[in-house]
Amino acid sequence: MIPLATGILLAPALAALALLAVQPQHAGLIRRIAVAATMISLAGAVMMMATYDRARAGFQHEVWLPWIGSLGIGFHLGVDGISVVLVLLHALCAFTGVLISYSIRERVKEYFIFYLLLITGVFGVFLSLDLFFFYFFYEMAVIPMFPLIGIWGSDVKEQGVVRFSKEYATMKLTIYLTLGAVVALIGLLALYANAGLRSFDIPTLMRHFGTSPLSPELQRWIFPLLAVGFGVIAPVWPLHSWSPIGHAAAPSPVSMLHAGVLMKLGSYAIIRVAVGLLPEGARMWLPWLAGLCVFNIIYGGFVAMAQRDLKLIIGYSSSSHMGYVLLGIACLTPLGLDGAVLLMFAHGLMTALSFALVGHIYDQTHTRYLPDLGGLAKQTPFIAACGVAAAMASSGLPGFANFVSELLIFLGGWDRYPVPVICGVFGVVITAVYMLRLVRGTFFGEPKPAFHHVQDATTAFQRLPYLVLLAALIWVGCWPGRVLQTVDASARPFIERLTPRQSSPMHFAESERGAP
Amino acid sequence: MPWNALAVEAVLGLWILVLLIADALAPASKRLWVLALAGIFAAAAALAWARPAWHGQLVQGMFVADAFAAYFKGLLLLTGALVILMTRRFAPLSNATGAFYMLLFTALLGGSVLASVHDFLMLFIGLELLTFSLYIMTAYLKTDRRSIEAGMKYLILGSVSSAFLVYGIALVYGFAGGTSFAAVTKALESPLTPAAAQTGFFLILAGLSFKIAALPFNLWVPDVYEGAPTPVVAMLSVGSKMSGMVALIRVLYGVLLPLQGLWGLLLPVLAAGTMVYGNLGALPQTNIKRLLGYSSIGHAGYLLMGLATATPEGLFAVGYYLLAYLFSSLAVFFAVVLVSDSVGGDTLEDYNGLSQRSPLLAGVLFVGLLSLAGVPPLAGFVGKLLVLLAATESRMLWLVALGAVNVAVSLYYYLMVVKRMYLGQPRSPALISVDPVSTGALIILTAGIVLIGVFQDPFLEQIRASLAFSQ
Repeated sequence: MIPLATGILLAPALAALALLAVQPQHAGLIRRIAVAATMISLAGAVMMMATYDRARAGFQHEVWLPWIGSLGIGFHLGVDGISVVLVLLHALCAFTGVLISYSIRERVKEYFIFYLLLITGVFGVFLSLDLFFFYFFYEMAVIPMFPLIGIWGSDVKEQGVVRFSKEYATMKLTIYLTLGAVVALIGLLALYANAGLRSFDIPTLMRHFGTSPLSPELQRWIFPLLAVGFGVIAPVWPLHSWSPIGHAAAPSPVSMLHAGVLMKLGSYAIIRVAVGLLPEGARMWLPWLAGLCVFNIIYGGFVAMAQRDLKLIIGYSSSSHMGYVLLGIACLTPLGLDGAVLLMFAHGLMTALSFALVGHIYDQTHTRYLPDLGGLAKQTPFIAACGVAAAMASSGLPGFANFVSELLIFLGGWDRYPVPVICGVFGVVITAVYMLRLVRGTFFGEPKPAFHHVQDATTAFQRLPYLVLLAALIWVGCWPGRVLQTVDASARPFIERLTPRQSSPMHFAESERGAP
Repeated sequence: MPWNALAVEAVLGLWILVLLIADALAPASKRLWVLALAGIFAAAAALAWARPAWHGQLVQGMFVADAFAAYFKGLLLLTGALVILMTRRFAPLSNATGAFYMLLFTALLGGSVLASVHDFLMLFIGLELLTFSLYIMTAYLKTDRRSIEAGMKYLILGSVSSAFLVYGIALVYGFAGGTSFAAVTKALESPLTPAAAQTGFFLILAGLSFKIAALPFNLWVPDVYEGAPTPVVAMLSVGSKMSGMVALIRVLYGVLLPLQGLWGLLLPVLAAGTMVYGNLGALPQTNIKRLLGYSSIGHAGYLLMGLATATPEGLFAVGYYLLAYLFSSLAVFFAVVLVSDSVGGDTLEDYNGLSQRSPLLAGVLFVGLLSLAGVPPLAGFVGKLLVLLAATESRMLWLVALGAVNVAVSLYYYLMVVKRMYLGQPRSPALISVDPVSTGALIILTAGIVLIGVFQDPFLEQIRASLAFSQ
C-alpha cells in the first residue's frame, strides 16, 4: 500500500511521465490522464484531511526514506494541521484547473506535461518536511510557469494596444521568483551550516532549536533572507509587481494555480521555515512585515481599482488580499495564524473560481477589457451567478470563508498592530468597491449585440469545476469548525512554542507529544 | 612492475596507430566512427580491468594510479565517446575524420595522463599533449576563415600560458631541487617558502587557469568557441576543462595544501570574477556557441568556488559538479550539432520555433540548459547546491551570495534560448529529423541529467569513494 502523502505527490508526476509516451494527437486521452491523476491526488487529500487526528496534532501521514545520508537529507513527507489544509486547497485547485484546461486546444500534450509538473512541485512543497526537498520542489514549481505563460498565455491589451506582452510577463515572473528563491537559499544554507546538525530535516531542526536556538545575531540576519526570499512569491509589497502581470498574461487554468496556490507557497514557507525555525528573528522582523502588509492591502487595493482588465483587477486584488495573510502571520498569535491559514485556503478557492470565470468570459467574448463588456448575465446566467458569489466572497461577506478568516486576523492582530488592522478593515471596503464594479461592468447593464453568440457553461461537466470550488467555499464559510480546528490543532502549539514567556512545562509536553 | 595501471594510456596510444592504419587503408570512410568508438570501449574495458588491480605510483613516481584518476578517466572516455558520436553528424568534418579521430585520441591520452599526474614535468607533458591536439582540431576546417582564426587565437594565447607554466615549473624546480610532487611536498615542509617559489606556484596556477577558462586567462573562450567546429567545442568545454580541473586539484590538494593560506585568498576572488564575467558576458550574445562559451566561463567560476574552500566537502562538490556539467553540457552541444547540421547556422535566430520543428531537440536543449542553470530536479541543481553548501560551511558568505545571484542571471540567458525555441515562430516549417543513433545518445544524456538530479546518493557515494585522495 502506497502511503497517502507519496500517492498524492506521485500521481501527477507519474502522469507527466506517462504523457511523454502518448502521441500528441490523442488530446482526449491526454486530458483524461491528467484528470485521473489530479482526481487521485484530490481523493488522497480529502482522505488525508478526514483522517488527520486533531487530538494528536503534530506531523502525521509521515513518510521517510533515506536519500543523501552523508548530508542528512531524507525524503521526508508529512503534514500538520496547517499544511493538510493547504494540500487540500491545492488538490481542489489542481483538479478544477485541469477541468478548466479543456479549453486549451493547442499543443495539448506539452501543456499538460508542464501543468502536471507545476502541480507536482506545489504538492511537494506543501508535503515536504525536509528543507532540501522543500527547496527542490519550490524551484521545480516555478520553472514550468515560464513555458505555460509564454506559450499558452495572451498579451495584455487595452483598447487594442498591447500594454505588455506575455513574453515580458513570463520572463519577469521567472526571474523575480528565481531571485527570491536563491536569496532564500542563502538563508537556508546558512541555517543548515550554523545549526551544526548536518540535517535538513525540519522536525529535527525544530526540536533542536527548541532546546538550543541559534544566537539572536544569526537569527537577525538569516530571518530577513528567508522572509524576503520567500516573500517575493507571497508577494510582499514592493516585490509584488511580477504577480499581477503574471496572472494577467497566463492562461486561465494557470492563473488559477498561480493565484490559488503558488502565492501561498511564499506565506507557507514563511510560516514553516522562517518563523518556525527562527522565532527570535521573527519577533525582531515581523513588525516590519506588518507595516509592509498595509501597503499590500491599501496600495494593492487602489491599484486594483484603477485597472480595466478583468485579470489585472483580480491579480492586484490577490496581492492585496495576501497582505491579510501576511498580517495574520505577523501577529504571532494563534488566532492570527489560524486566520492566515484559513484565508490562504479561502482566498485560494475564491481566486481560482474568479480566474476560471474570467477564462470562460474571455473564451467566449475574446475580451477582458471592462469597458467592452456588459450585460452578460442574460446569456450566461450560471457564470454570472458564480461571479456574484465570487465577488461576495472576495469582499468578505458572511457566509463565505473569507469573512471568517479576515475576522480572525483582525481579532488576532488587534492587540499588537491596531493601526495595520484598522487599515485592513478599510481594505475590505476598497475590495467591495472594485469587485462590485467588476460584477456590474461584466454581467449587468445593457446587453451588447456583439455578445449574442456567447454561451453559458451548460453541461454538468462544464459546470463541475465551478460547483466544486463554490461548494468548498460555502462549506468552509458556513461550517468553518472542521477546518479551523485542524489548523488550530497545529497553529496553537506552533505559536506557543515561539513565545518564551508561555513556555511552561505543560506546553512543552504538548509540542513534544506532537512531534514524531 | 604493475604496468597494468597504465592500461588506459596504452590502449589510447595503440588506437592512434590503429586509426592511422585504418585511415590509410580506407580513406574517407564513413564508418570510421565505429572504429573510434570501439577504441573508447577498449580503453573503458582496460580501465575497468586495471582499476581494482593496483594503487600506487610508477614511472619513477611520475604517474599515480588511484580511484581519483580512475573516476576522471572514466568521465573523459565518456566525453570522448560522445564527441565521436557528434562528429558523425557534423557535416563539415565528416569528409576527413581519420586525422580528426587520431587527434581526439591524443587529446584523450593527454587528459588521461593529467588525471594521473604526480610530477610537474608530467603535468606539462599531459597538458601540452591535450592542448596541441586541440589547437589543430580547432583549426581543422581548413576552408573556414573563422575556424583558422579561432585556431590561431587559441594557439597564441595557449603558448603564452604554456610559457607561464614552464617558467613556474622552473622556479619550483629551483626551490625543491626536483619536479616530482613528492620532492615539492618535502620542500614545503620547511616553514618558509621563498618568494621565488611562491611566484612559481602562482605561474603554474595561471597556466592551469587558462585550461579551465578562468579569469584572467579566458579572453580566448568566446572567439574560439564560435569559430571551432562544434564537436571540438564540446571537447574544449567538457574534456579540456575537466582535465584542467583535475590537474588543478592534483596540484592544489596534492601538493600545495601547506600554502593554503596563500591560494585560499586568491581563489575566491578569481572564482567571483570568473563567475560574474562569464554570466554577464553571456547576456548580450546572439550566437549559441558564444553564449555557451561565456556560460562555460561562468561554470568555471563555480568550480573554482568549490576548490577555494580547500575542504574535502569542496572537492567533493567539484567532483559532482563536473559530472553534472558533463551530462548537461554534452547534451546541449549534441543538440547544437544536430540543429546546425540541418539548419546550417548557430545564431540564436536559428532556434526560433525549434519545438515545432523537432520536439526532441527542443526538449533536450530545454532540459540541458535548465540543468546548466541549476534548476531542480536536474543534475546541475545538485552540483550548484553542493558547491554553495561547501562554501557556506567555509564561511565565504559573500561568495555564496554572489554565486546564488548568478544562478538567476544565468537562468535569464538560458531562458532566452528556451523562449526562442518554444515561443518563437520558425523561419521554415520543415521538420528536423534525427537519426536513431543520435536519438539514443540524446535520450541517454537527458535521462542521465534527470537521474543524477533525482537519485543523487549512488553518484555521491561513488564520488566520495573516488576522492579518497592519495598523495
